[in-house]
Amino acid sequence: MTEIATSPGARRALTIFFSSLVLFLYVPIVVLAVFSFNDGDVSFPLAGFTLDWYRRFFSNPKILQSLERSAIVAAISSVIAVGLGVTASFALLRRRFFGKSAVSALLFSPLVVPYLVFGISLLVIFTAVDKFLAASTGSYIGLGLHAVVIGHVVVSLPYTVLTIMPLLERLSVDLEEAAKDLGADPWQSFRRVTLPLLMPAIVSAFMIAFTLSFDEYAIASFLAGETPTWPVYLFAQLRVPSQLPQLLAVSSVVLVASLGVVLAAEIGRRLAERRYGDDLRPAP
Amino acid sequence: MAVTQQEASARRGWRRRDRRGTAGLLAGPLIWLLLFFVIPVAFVAAYSVGAVDLFPTDPGVVSLASWQRLLTGGSVYMGLFWKSIRMSLTVSAIVVLLAYPTGYFLALCVGRRKYVLLLLIIAPFLTSYLLRVLAWKVILGDAGVINSFLSWTGMQSPDDPITWFLYSRFTVMLVLAYIWVPFVALPVFVSLDKLDKSLLEAASDLGASRWRTFVRVTLPLSLSGVFAAFLFVFIPTIGEFVTPLLVGGTSGYMYGNSIQDLFTKGLDWQTGSTLALFLLGVVAVLMAAFGRFLRVRAVVA
Repeated sequence: MTEIATSPGARRALTIFFSSLVLFLYVPIVVLAVFSFNDGDVSFPLAGFTLDWYRRFFSNPKILQSLERSAIVAAISSVIAVGLGVTASFALLRRRFFGKSAVSALLFSPLVVPYLVFGISLLVIFTAVDKFLAASTGSYIGLGLHAVVIGHVVVSLPYTVLTIMPLLERLSVDLEEAAKDLGADPWQSFRRVTLPLLMPAIVSAFMIAFTLSFDEYAIASFLAGETPTWPVYLFAQLRVPSQLPQLLAVSSVVLVASLGVVLAAEIGRRLAERRYGDDLRPAP
Repeated sequence: MAVTQQEASARRGWRRRDRRGTAGLLAGPLIWLLLFFVIPVAFVAAYSVGAVDLFPTDPGVVSLASWQRLLTGGSVYMGLFWKSIRMSLTVSAIVVLLAYPTGYFLALCVGRRKYVLLLLIIAPFLTSYLLRVLAWKVILGDAGVINSFLSWTGMQSPDDPITWFLYSRFTVMLVLAYIWVPFVALPVFVSLDKLDKSLLEAASDLGASRWRTFVRVTLPLSLSGVFAAFLFVFIPTIGEFVTPLLVGGTSGYMYGNSIQDLFTKGLDWQTGSTLALFLLGVVAVLMAAFGRFLRVRAVVA
């Protein structure tokens, strides 16, 4: 098979190409990590190994605070996005209704709308609502983490639907029908039958939405206001060269953690799909 | 007879409950998207034509003046827009050229390890975008990794660092290509992986050379994946503003940067809204014209 696709020479060339691409992709990340352990500024020659930057980062309240904010925003927005994603997936796969293609187009459209445009749209609407509230009641909502959560739910939603739908599609409708025949109401059949079977996809959807939100800069930069999340804080601090090694230390930790989470999510999802693949298909 | 009537009414009841259930399922997502996505974007549209005003400096009259300024008479923003289009096209082409052999290698040359290697390629995409741009800033800066390495090894004088590394159009395109290659390897891989391998055998049995098989069979059948890959890069990079902000300087300044500046520095929100909506319109037209190549679900599932 492969002999038809490539000659031995081409195969060797492709192997070299592929290896260089992997290097190109990983070297910058590794460089970030290496210099976070360097006892000096971010330039050659390397001055020796130190954990000092990590120590400083763990005792820098501003960094810790911004990480905490990002974690809170990510947790809340991903829980909401997964909740909405589950109901949307059910509607799209298990129900027939008028305008289904329009609904699914709307659900997936945040995938292609530039984050910049979406971010300023929310900024404008928050400003408008505040202006109205200030004129009529004298109070206002203001920007902040709540605004970031609202925006992140919108952009995470299509990813949660895309993660949940493939598994839900494989779960036979017969199981839900059987639960119904045995006297379960729709909520019981969801709670006791479908939800447990859907759990792997829900967990990976949660992890994907969480990392998306935790790292998101474009939308948060317009909406965070006086409470910068971690990417917004990082961006603002890049202007201060003396901060750089410390920021590299945090970045390395965040990189490793998010890689771990995403790989776990992906592997879990594939395993679950493979496991369900054979025995939960609709009866022929 | 009575029984069937009962059955029929029970079924009607089910259907009614079903419809209510559907509405219940859809209410959450739809209301959220309506309130926080559709209405804000519509509001920006209204703002761009002056139908609403938020600041004392806003003109307060409904007119297409800001659209006219943007679209006619060679405005600065239109020039920037075309510059961004050219940069995005270049980046997309480079990314596809890098992604195609990668997808080809994974789908047709490596056998059972292909999913592991695919994950190796995709993984960087799933880590922080901002950090990956930052890595390049650290590497390419005047006192950065490469320049300090060159001066340390004596290949370049420390007083004379290579400055075009950072803050140039080239750097913006390099970094954008770096960001998008992992993601785009996926659609190319999928289109080549699902290709019916017996077609290749047939071509070879009929005496076609490998090269001829590739040009006449493999390449045409994977073109949908190539188009998808191209759009997957092109659409998000037209509106790019973070990468140029970090590594672009003035020569790498893009259309998206002017939108951000109008909202954060210039405080001319009406012009900013017009530019943003124009960008959205361009994306919508691209999607309407080529969206069928982006079968997102086929790629992800």
